[in-house]
Amino acid sequence: MIIVSMILLVGFNLPIVLLFDSANNFLGFPVVYIYFFSMWLFSILVSILIVKRYNE
Amino acid sequence: MNSVVLLLILSVYLAVLFFIAHWAEKKENGKWSNNPYIYSLSLAVYCTAWTYYGSIGVAADSGLSYLPIYLGPIIIAPSWILILKKIIRISRVNKISSIADFISLRYGNSRFLGAIVTVICLTGIIPYIALQLKAISETFHVVTKTATSSNILDDTTTYVAVALALFASYYGTRYVDASEKRKGIVTAVAMESILKLVFFVIIGIYVTYFVFDGFNDIYEKASLLKNFKEKNTIGGLPQAINWFLLCVLSMFAIFLLPRQFQVSVIENNRENHINTAVWLFPLYLLIFNIFVYPIAWGGNILFDGKDVNSDAYSLLIPQLFDNKTLTVLVFLGGFSAAISMIVVSSIGLSTMITNNVLIPYNLIGKLKGNEQTISSRKILNSRKIGIFSLIILSYFIYRFFGLDYSLVSIGLVAFVIIAQLGPAFFGALFWRRGSRLGAVYGIIVGFIICIYTLLIPYSIGISNSESTFISDGLFGFHLLKPFQLFGLDYLQPVPHALFWSLLFNIITYFSVSVSFKGNYRERNYAEMFVDISKYITNHENAFIWRGTAYRNDIEKVLVRFLGEERTNRAMNIFNVKYNIDINQELADARLIKFSENLLTGHIGTASARILISSVVKEEKISLPEVLKILEESKENIIINKKLTETSNELKEITAKLQNANISLMVKDKQKDEFLDTITHELRTPITAIRAASEILHDDDEIPEELKKQFLQNIISESDRLNRLIDKILDLEKFETGKQTINPELHNLISTIENSIEPLQHLIKNKKIEVRIESNDTIYAYYDEDRIVQVITNLLSNSIKFCPEKEGLIVIQVTTYENFILTTVHDNGKGIAENDFEAIFEKFYQSTNQNIKKPIGSGLGLAICKQIIEHHKGKIWAQANIKGASILFTLPKNKTIEN
Repeated sequence: MIIVSMILLVGFNLPIVLLFDSANNFLGFPVVYIYFFSMWLFSILVSILIVKRYNE
Repeated sequence: MNSVVLLLILSVYLAVLFFIAHWAEKKENGKWSNNPYIYSLSLAVYCTAWTYYGSIGVAADSGLSYLPIYLGPIIIAPSWILILKKIIRISRVNKISSIADFISLRYGNSRFLGAIVTVICLTGIIPYIALQLKAISETFHVVTKTATSSNILDDTTTYVAVALALFASYYGTRYVDASEKRKGIVTAVAMESILKLVFFVIIGIYVTYFVFDGFNDIYEKASLLKNFKEKNTIGGLPQAINWFLLCVLSMFAIFLLPRQFQVSVIENNRENHINTAVWLFPLYLLIFNIFVYPIAWGGNILFDGKDVNSDAYSLLIPQLFDNKTLTVLVFLGGFSAAISMIVVSSIGLSTMITNNVLIPYNLIGKLKGNEQTISSRKILNSRKIGIFSLIILSYFIYRFFGLDYSLVSIGLVAFVIIAQLGPAFFGALFWRRGSRLGAVYGIIVGFIICIYTLLIPYSIGISNSESTFISDGLFGFHLLKPFQLFGLDYLQPVPHALFWSLLFNIITYFSVSVSFKGNYRERNYAEMFVDISKYITNHENAFIWRGTAYRNDIEKVLVRFLGEERTNRAMNIFNVKYNIDINQELADARLIKFSENLLTGHIGTASARILISSVVKEEKISLPEVLKILEESKENIIINKKLTETSNELKEITAKLQNANISLMVKDKQKDEFLDTITHELRTPITAIRAASEILHDDDEIPEELKKQFLQNIISESDRLNRLIDKILDLEKFETGKQTINPELHNLISTIENSIEPLQHLIKNKKIEVRIESNDTIYAYYDEDRIVQVITNLLSNSIKFCPEKEGLIVIQVTTYENFILTTVHDNGKGIAENDFEAIFEKFYQSTNQNIKKPIGSGLGLAICKQIIEHHKGKIWAQANIKGASILFTLPKNKTIEN
């Protein structure tokens, strides 16, 4: 889980965010929003997976 | 909308909340109030009116930068599983009731540090509470379309604030022990979290799909507005550094904000609720944040060019389309967000004020002389007054200072101030050398920088043109400009202040901690905090204390604060836990720590320490001595652990050895019996052979006929010997598992016929009738050679025992669903019922058979049993009217393993 935190810390900050720094349309949202939200959702899914597997 | 109607709705809503809180409080160990979902939802007290209205404002005016406030928490959420668990454990065993308690206890029960932490929290949070009240009040006026009244008594929102203050002070102080769980409040907060999310999503969907035509429609219309592109990108390196600092800021906030500490640590019932929170809380924030963008830009499109407050878009949009129900729902959602923050924060703050400032600095002397009921009441009342006056004070701050800034900027200032506790807090968790002086100076230095770079400029007013403080710096020194300290000019004010204050805070904390050694008590607590998992079950043992103390004195102090009954109960628990004689007069370190803990929940750590040390005589221990004791106890723990491990291993090995011994003995006995029988069986034919050959050898004059008879005997006995040895080898192979069988599909009837064939000659000799009763073909999986062996064996037994006249053998084969049953029945003398099982044992010969020379080897049925069992079938004997029946089954399908 600490590793998931590390990945998020890097993924949500410079320099990686600047790669997705664009306001072009993607599914009705600017690309940068889509990047954050999908990363966010991905981290939730990974957390669920890890917690279910190792802590129950 | 009419204010009276709205007030009515509000009172109904508040009454429902009262009811929920009351109901949850009443229910003992209710599944409803004590579950991981309620816990995770209560964490959402993080989303205040700032999230509800402010985020939309930021997204509309300056774009993306509302996001880092939520990214920080979700970055750190997965690691809660380790960090938050540790904090919860420390707080649980030490009965900690606030973040001030937590920090002051770690740095040697420091009264001063607790007070500083409280002051920092108050400075940060009171304006923040004021902000929430401002949000309630302003949105109230937006919904009712009234103007704020200048007379405070005329303004309806004043009464809302008073009602809130009453609610919080009533439900927040049910117990004197502040570390007790407040189920009612937590359940109500969780309920509000659901409501605010649902209402927010409803307005989000309304704006996206009813006002506009989906996300794409909003995008296309919004992209025509000016600055759309700049606002929806991060936009370069300096902005990305701002972004990073804001993420760090919110990461700190999720741990350090008093209200977060309250719900995530103090109100935590079970550690494993965190397992749910690590994914549910980020999910909650995600759903909340998805609709911020469409509402914000929907608002920008609708109100382009008009002068409206973008914070209120979520109310103004439904109002524009005259949708009253939706307006009220959104207002209620925002109201929920605000009041859960106000209630939880004010409870946390008032506990800090009483336990870390009022009692240790002032009340403690007065409380000591009182009866228990009086002091309890005094403590409770001071907390109630604390909560009430905090809320009212915040309201006054809002009314008189106006708070001209947007929701977000004041919230961020609060975050930066609270973040000053970060180094001392995380140092407490992971660094043994962190000292009280380091923590105190670090926090003070950081706080001073915050005042200089944020509080002073904000209170002067950013746009105030009369003051040159912001534009030219203090005394005109350009390097001292509060927003560009030391010339750092590309950061926004908040990240800028965070950077400098935290930098100096951390440097001070580390350098002071390293340069000046802390006292032994700090080091003792450092050990207990950092290594909590080691001391979780018996943390009283980890407390080092030397001196003289009497149980009686300590008990007297406890009775004064806890009452007679609770003190006795606690003392009993302590005596049982550590197996202590009731008559013992002297108290030891464990009792001192135990009683300090008991008092901590009521009056805070610092006061608990002051009280207990007033009745005991402590000898000073030097730091090296403490370190030595700690080292020793650590070694002891390790040695103990190793010893238990080794002894457990030994126990296991002994048990294994015993089992092995028993099975060896059993085997040995079997072997003995087997050898006995086998030698006997082998010797019989050998004796016969030897006798015959001796006679032939010694006596040359035996008549030819007799000689032939003897030779015939020798031949038949050698045959018998041969057969016997074959059978023994067969049996041995089956028993040791060396024998394998190769099942294939065969017709059982033809197998039976084939087995009868070689015996025809015997059957004819005894004039026996053999009948097969079954269909012509019945297929089964088996090893044909082996089954022939079984049938031959059974048949020869039957032939052997059949009467001389009218012998009859019937073989029946019947098919069942899963198996095939074969019965071999004869009309011989039958088998005694108590022999049914024994006949299948090795060398068993029925007792009445021994009268004459034994007819069989005694191995036949044992071999049959082995063969059938290897086919996963069964063989057994059955009673019959006349004669014997042996039955066996074979499985129909190929289930046999080799």
